[in-house]
Amino acid sequence: MDERNNSFRQDGNQLIHTRMLNAPRELVWDVWTKPEHIKEWWGPNGFTLTHKSMHVKKGSEWKFTMHGFGKDFENKIEYLEVVKPSLLSYRHGDKNDTISFTVYVSFEEVENKTRLTMRSVFKSEEVLDELNRQVRAIEGGKQTLDKLEHYLKTQLQLQNLDNND
Amino acid sequence: MLAHKSLNLNAVAENFDVSRPAISKHIKILTECGLIVIQQQGRERYCQAQLQKLGAVSDWVEKYRQFWNSKLDALEVYLNQLQSKEKKSLKGKVKKNGRKK
Repeated sequence: MDERNNSFRQDGNQLIHTRMLNAPRELVWDVWTKPEHIKEWWGPNGFTLTHKSMHVKKGSEWKFTMHGFGKDFENKIEYLEVVKPSLLSYRHGDKNDTISFTVYVSFEEVENKTRLTMRSVFKSEEVLDELNRQVRAIEGGKQTLDKLEHYLKTQLQLQNLDNND
Repeated sequence: MLAHKSLNLNAVAENFDVSRPAISKHIKILTECGLIVIQQQGRERYCQAQLQKLGAVSDWVEKYRQFWNSKLDALEVYLNQLQSKEKKSLKGKVKKNGRKK
């Protein structure tokens, strides 16, 4: 795989995905900016999406509802820059939220293909560190316990087998 | 259990329906894996969970990477579907019109 075309890296407060897409740029732009297209791939796997309204221009919004886990989640994306067909930026979350971040999606034409670069820019590197810490505290604790319990259970079963011999 | 506070071996053993020597053996293995650190405090030995060892797979950044990788996969699949549909409908038109540039 071409490292330059399909990659992910963290650069300070930015998380950067790049992907070479085998499609012309106009089509990739449409798939990001038209409701009938974006609902086909956006959002977590297993969720469905109901589109409410979409105005792809600076200062306007895309409003939609995600359905999953038997619940509805209201979502809003505010467009900050719209330069068809090369750049789209939007804010994820409320302006005042600590973890609100801005995503810059650029579309580059490369021999009838499109190189997509998605830069998610957070308020600071510390915000990302803090999110990592929170996830680790929850998941790490859970995993350690799960591992220990699972391990002890299997060992106990083995011992029981030995005893029955 | 150990994620919340350090415990001595007896306290760990009380929580499981396994013999004390068995607990010692398992704790030893977890220590060798680096998941637990044992600290001697007076006569007691305390176990401390090393959560950061598990961090590599549970970071928020890692989750974000995985999430968007799978979304970009879905985007790729969808683009391919759209384009193969387009080709099919173009072929249909070519047949109907007889000629297509």
